Amino acid sequence: MITLDRNPTELSSGGCGLEDEILTRPCVHCELPTPVRCDADPSRVFCCSGCKGAYELIHGWGLDSFYELRKNANSNRTALDSDESFDVFDDDEFLGPSKPILQADGWLHTRLAIIGLHCAACAWLIENVATRTPGWRSARVKMSNHSIQIVFDPNVLPLSEIARLLSRLGYELAPYVDGDDQAFQRQSRKLLTQIAIAGFCAANAMWIAVALYAGEATGLASSHREFLTFVGTTLGLTAVVIPGRTFFVGAIASLRTRTPHMDLPVALGLAVGSISGIVCLILGRGDVYFDSLAALVFLLLIGRWIQFHQQNRAAKAVDLLLRITPRHARRLGVDGAVSMVLADRLQHGDIVRVLAGDSVPADGIIIRGRSLLDRSLLTGESRHVRVKIGDSVEAGVVNLQSEFDFRVTAVGKDSRIGRVMQSVEEASASRTPVIQLADRIGGVFVIVVSILAAITFAWWSLTDWQLAASSATSLLIVACPCALALATPLAIAIALGRSANQKIYIRDGATLGQLAKPGMIWFDKTGTLTEGRPAASFVYGDEHAIAMADAVERECEHPIAQAIHGLAQRLRLSAEQQDVSLPVANVEVGIGGIVGQCDGHSVIVGNLDFAELHAVSLNSSIHQAAASCLEKGGSPLIIAVDGIGVTVLSIQDAIKPDAAETITRLTKSGWTVGVLSGDHPDIVNQVADQLGIDPSQCYGGLSPEEKLRHVKSTRANASDGTPSRRTTVMVGDGANDAAALAAADVGIAVRGGAEVSLRAAPAFIATGKLATLSLLFDASRRTSNLIHSAFVASLTYNLIAVGLAMTGRISPLLAAMLMPISSVTVLSLCLVWPIYKVRGEQR
Amino acid sequence: MSVLFIALPAAILLGASGMMACVYCIQNGQYDDLDTPSIRILVDEAETNSDSDKN
Repeated sequence: MITLDRNPTELSSGGCGLEDEILTRPCVHCELPTPVRCDADPSRVFCCSGCKGAYELIHGWGLDSFYELRKNANSNRTALDSDESFDVFDDDEFLGPSKPILQADGWLHTRLAIIGLHCAACAWLIENVATRTPGWRSARVKMSNHSIQIVFDPNVLPLSEIARLLSRLGYELAPYVDGDDQAFQRQSRKLLTQIAIAGFCAANAMWIAVALYAGEATGLASSHREFLTFVGTTLGLTAVVIPGRTFFVGAIASLRTRTPHMDLPVALGLAVGSISGIVCLILGRGDVYFDSLAALVFLLLIGRWIQFHQQNRAAKAVDLLLRITPRHARRLGVDGAVSMVLADRLQHGDIVRVLAGDSVPADGIIIRGRSLLDRSLLTGESRHVRVKIGDSVEAGVVNLQSEFDFRVTAVGKDSRIGRVMQSVEEASASRTPVIQLADRIGGVFVIVVSILAAITFAWWSLTDWQLAASSATSLLIVACPCALALATPLAIAIALGRSANQKIYIRDGATLGQLAKPGMIWFDKTGTLTEGRPAASFVYGDEHAIAMADAVERECEHPIAQAIHGLAQRLRLSAEQQDVSLPVANVEVGIGGIVGQCDGHSVIVGNLDFAELHAVSLNSSIHQAAASCLEKGGSPLIIAVDGIGVTVLSIQDAIKPDAAETITRLTKSGWTVGVLSGDHPDIVNQVADQLGIDPSQCYGGLSPEEKLRHVKSTRANASDGTPSRRTTVMVGDGANDAAALAAADVGIAVRGGAEVSLRAAPAFIATGKLATLSLLFDASRRTSNLIHSAFVASLTYNLIAVGLAMTGRISPLLAAMLMPISSVTVLSLCLVWPIYKVRGEQR
Repeated sequence: MSVLFIALPAAILLGASGMMACVYCIQNGQYDDLDTPSIRILVDEAETNSDSDKN
């Protein structure tokens, strides 16, 4: 389906096709960019035959509205898994807890885990497919725990067929295991139950309060009044005692550890309100504030629930990112027979076979075979690693070459990747400094408010005891810093959740605050500002020599060979595309080049030195072309056929298409941009020049230790002199720049494996795009603005209200009405604040 | 006006039974998934093939 009908001259610009993204059509099914140009029919563009198959299946069922629905819900692309054997799904032992159960209606019911769900459109698609498939009665997808309830008739359609069908759609089934979700579910249910009780109390207390206030104006029999007051107080106290005890538990814990905590003023406010309410009820005079107590508990609980959900969503996103280990494993029995089992069921000492192309399901030691491993997901190493008997393998790495057997040493949470997942979870569970700051402010606040309340009481009690009590209570109620307590954690939680939607994983909420103020930002060059892999472009000479060079280079795995192959393919010159055979013989790889026989000619591909070493004759135009390559920052590569140089290619690490724009935006918003690179200073300067970075801030030829020193000295310089310290940011590769990333105030990893990145840097951009980086900076600024606005709003409100209460101008009644308004303001401010402004921009 | 002494507890009881029902639903897991149902309602109900030989 892929159509490539480009004019070859366009490609000599030196990129490797990424800059053409804007001009090309995305795949209809998975929305990945394809090399198909705009003028092609947009509804028939696919990136691979898998997507085409899935599209045709969906189209054939008449379910095209899936694509419409998907546009509305923010979706991600579906992962297509390699074709596996699905027969295991008919095996009850394999299914374990998901064994289908025959129900009274004559159908088999089972609950399975489903992998690859992204949004509600997926649920819609699956449920509709079920009703259109004979033998499959219904499917019920649960997004919250990614499970699916399947009702089917095994005589018409075995479960293996359903699994195959879903796999064609891009979803994978697995036996359902109750796991971490249970803790979340319990907590969620507990919170919801508390909210329900508090809501009931608040709503009823409120209408009783309305009756009382109305009665105040029109006259009310004292017996009725007492009765209403009694019922209202009971409701208010119920709200405080049952759902509100969370705050008292928190307050007691904070007293015990002697750290002021936001639960403390909340609990104090609740306690004072309750006690004065009870006193008033017993004395039968004065106002009671039970409705505000219940409303307070209700609103605070809602805030907690939102925060809890956002945090869980962010955690899930990180979890999905790290879920790179396969779910099935081929276990070797004692008799040597291979059986498919769940990776979770593997045990220490089991022997597992890994086929070429599969990922390793657990940590272990190879006992048979040798292969080449791609460890990039784990460590970010781009070089492939050779392994042999006795070497260790880790869960999540990909076996590239040939099958091997290994003995399991660690599975699941004990494996290396499992331990990383745990450390990320722990880090995200710890409180961020910003929240701690809010807690500290809350601590000061509670002391100040208590003192002010005491002063108010003392002052007014000189004249009128009742007015004194009323003013002090108003003050305590009105100054309750619940808006303050709500603002920061809520804003951070929402920002983290929305960042995860944008594929920005932030380990530490403080990061957002630090990125909001401009400072010094260091970029790594290779792989951060540039693509990180060489791309070849055609400069001068005979194009057809490229086909021969490609054929010869095919014999080795060097990145330059891959670059040449890419170029040959783009020019439609490679042997397969031309439908010719170019027999290759006697290939020898030397330093800086390669020599071989191709189609009866001797072919030499290499740099200038290599060409001279092999006595290639180069005419002046070849020399000129090579010189112009060097000027443009590329390295020239000579192709010689039968000892005569015929073609010059330029090998260049292309600058990322969004790099220039990102740098400009950062500079405009006040950041000082610099480059720290291990590459040659000339190349670094060239890149800096093209991106408009001040050359005095660019350092080339640095070792990782020197990079670290630069970052440290920037931090040291930033701290003295200026009163507000400028933030030092390092943007780089999770693997090679780990030390510099960790030393900076904020390290942002844009490349490399999840493991090292999240360990070294508090933020990880999974898209690897620099445009996402500027999104993150914008988002930090907006989050910081949001926190400040919320602080200002709630503090202004508190100051005015405290002032009024101290002067005895507002009654506790008015205070009780004002109190929830500030919380609601802060709550709605946080929810509607545009942290990520344009959703579709990067698509 | 003394009807208040009966009406108010009755109202509270009614409300409380509603709340109990809500709590029962929460504990039963009806509120565990708050993402899927919101979109499921937008989807047209297709004919279900309750008989396997239908299509």
